Amino acid sequence: MGVKSITTLLLLGLTVVSLVSRGTAQAEDIAVVVSSGNSATNLSLGDLRKIFSGAKRSWPGGQRIKLVTRGSGCPERVVLLKLLAMSEDDYKRYWTAQVFRGEADAEPLIVPSVGMQKEALNLFPGAITLVNVRDVKPGMRVIKIDGQVPGVAGYALR
Amino acid sequence: MLKGGIRTRIHCALLVLAVVPASSQAQTAGPSDQETVAQLVEQIKQLQQQDHDLLERIKILELKQLAASPAAEIGPSPQLIPPLSAEQTTPPPTPADVPHDWHDVHGIQWRGFGEVDYQVLNQRKPELAAGGFVGGSAGNFYTDDFGLFITSRLTDKASVLAEIIFEEGDAQSYSVDLRRMLLNYDYNNHMKVSFGRYQTNIGYYNWAFRSAAWLQTTADRPLVMQYASQGGLLPTQAIGVSVTGAIPSGKLGLNYVAEYGSSDTNRPDLNGDGQVTDDNNGNHVNVGFFLRPDAVPGLQIGTSYYHDQISNNDVNALTGALAPPLPGVLAPSARYGQTIVNAYAVYVAHGFEFLNEGFLIRQALIGGSLHFDNPAFYSQFSKQLGRVRPFFRYQYVNANSNPNSIFDDVGLRYGPSFGVRYDPNNYIALKAQLDHTAREGQPDLNGLQLQFAFTF
Repeated sequence: MGVKSITTLLLLGLTVVSLVSRGTAQAEDIAVVVSSGNSATNLSLGDLRKIFSGAKRSWPGGQRIKLVTRGSGCPERVVLLKLLAMSEDDYKRYWTAQVFRGEADAEPLIVPSVGMQKEALNLFPGAITLVNVRDVKPGMRVIKIDGQVPGVAGYALR
Repeated sequence: MLKGGIRTRIHCALLVLAVVPASSQAQTAGPSDQETVAQLVEQIKQLQQQDHDLLERIKILELKQLAASPAAEIGPSPQLIPPLSAEQTTPPPTPADVPHDWHDVHGIQWRGFGEVDYQVLNQRKPELAAGGFVGGSAGNFYTDDFGLFITSRLTDKASVLAEIIFEEGDAQSYSVDLRRMLLNYDYNNHMKVSFGRYQTNIGYYNWAFRSAAWLQTTADRPLVMQYASQGGLLPTQAIGVSVTGAIPSGKLGLNYVAEYGSSDTNRPDLNGDGQVTDDNNGNHVNVGFFLRPDAVPGLQIGTSYYHDQISNNDVNALTGALAPPLPGVLAPSARYGQTIVNAYAVYVAHGFEFLNEGFLIRQALIGGSLHFDNPAFYSQFSKQLGRVRPFFRYQYVNANSNPNSIFDDVGLRYGPSFGVRYDPNNYIALKAQLDHTAREGQPDLNGLQLQFAFTF
C-alpha cells in the first residue's frame, strides 16, 4: 500500500470522525418536553423565556405550569441559564426575589436524573422541562420552538 | 491506472472499516469460556433486577411524598424529589447539586430577611427620628426591617402570602407591621387578582424590591420610593384589590395593573421635628401598563397613573395630637386631590442593572386653585462582576416647601450615591455606600452606610 493510499485512508477516517462529531453536536440540542396530556405543540422562544422566568404561569387552557429543571452543571441547566441570560448565582437570586415578590411559590423543582424528569411529567400534568435530545424517552412529548424541532439547523436551544 | 488506484484505495478503506468493528467485537466477546459468559449473564440479570427495584422504590417515595403534602399536587409541591442514597444507586451521570429545600414545612413556605446597618452622617441632627438615630450622634447602628415571609398554596389557583415586619423606631423600639397580607387568585395569565394589603404598583422599584434589603442592590431605597412609614413620598402600601395580567400583544409583551383600595398613610417628617403627617388618604385608583418586549429580554418599560384625596394634618408623633397650625396654613379639613404619574425604563439582564424612574406628584386643593407639583426621579446603574456589584445612583426630589405642602419637610434634595455590594454567597450581602445630598436651605449632607443584609 503506497503513501497515497494511506493518505486517502486518513482522509476517509477524518471524514468519518467529522460526520460522527457533527451528529453528536446535533444530539446536544435540548428538547422542550411537556406532559403527554398537554395540548401545546409549539412555543415561541419568547414564551419559553417567560415560562422559565415565571412571568407566564399557566397554559392556555388555564392549567398551572410546573417548572422542572436539572441541577447545576447539566447541559439542560446550561441551556436554561443561556435562555434566561443569567449565571447560576443570578438564577438563584432571581428566584429568591420572585418568591419575595409573591410571583412564585418557590424556586422551580430540581430533579437529578432524566428518569425523574419523566416521573415529574407524569405526576404534574402542567409540567414542562428541558431534556437533552439524546435522553428523550418514550412518553415524553417534545414541542417545537419557533416551529423547529431539535436537530434541525437553526434550532434555538443548544 | 488511475481508476485502478482509486478502486484499490476504496477497497482498502472498506477493508479497514470492516476489520475495525469486527476486531473490536471479537475483543468484546473475549474468550469463549462458557462459565464466564454465564457469570456475565447472571450479573446482567442482577443489575436489571436492581434497576427494577429502584424504580419501584422511587415510585413509592413519590407517592409517600404526595400523601404527606395535601397541597403537593397543586403547587407548593415538594420542590425536590429526593435522590436515592449512594448505597441505593449509582450517582447521576452529570453533576447535579440538589440541596434540600428547608423552606417548605408541611406545604407552608417560610422565608425571612434582615439587615444590620451602620450609618455615619456629617451632622449630629437626625434626619429622621427612626432607624436608631439619636440627636447628638453622627453615627449609629440600626437594624431597620427584620421580616418573616410566609406563603401557602390553597388550591391550584389560590394562595396566601404574608410579610410580617419588625421595624426599628426611635430608641431601639420595635413595631410590628403586616406589610403585606394577600389572598392571591391566578385565574390565568391575563388575570391575577390579589385581595388584602399590598404594595402599590406605582413604578418599578416598589414591585421589584419589596421590603428585604437583601433584594436591593443599594443599601437604601431611593427617597421617592422609600416606605411612607419611613418618610417616603409615595403611598407605598394599600388595602384593597389589585389585578394584573398580560394583554394579548404578541412579542410586545404588554401587561396591565389595576388597583383600588385605601392607602391611608402616616408619614414622619424627614427633618426630625418629631411630627407625623397624617394624610388621611381616601380610596385610591391606580392603573398602569408595562412592556416586556421579546426582542430585548430584560427590558421593561412602564407607566402608571394614581389618584386619591389627602389631607395635610401634622400630628405629634408621640401623642398623636394635632400640631398647632402655623400662620397661613389651611385648616386640617382642607382636602387635596393627589395625582401621581410615573414612567420608567429598566434593563436587568446579563449582570447589568439600569433603572430609571420619573414621577410627578401633584397635590391640588379641592375647591381652590392652590396646587403643588413635586417632580422626582432616580437613575441607578450597576454591573455584576463575579461576586462584586459596584453601583451608582443619582436621585432628585423637588418637593414644594410651602407650609401648605404635604412635603414641606422634604424640599429640594438631589445628589449621587455610589458604592459596592459583595455577595459571599446567595444568602448574604455586604454593602458599602457613600451618599452626597444637596438640600435646599441647608448644608449638604454626606453619609456613609455599611450594611449586612441576609435572607434565610
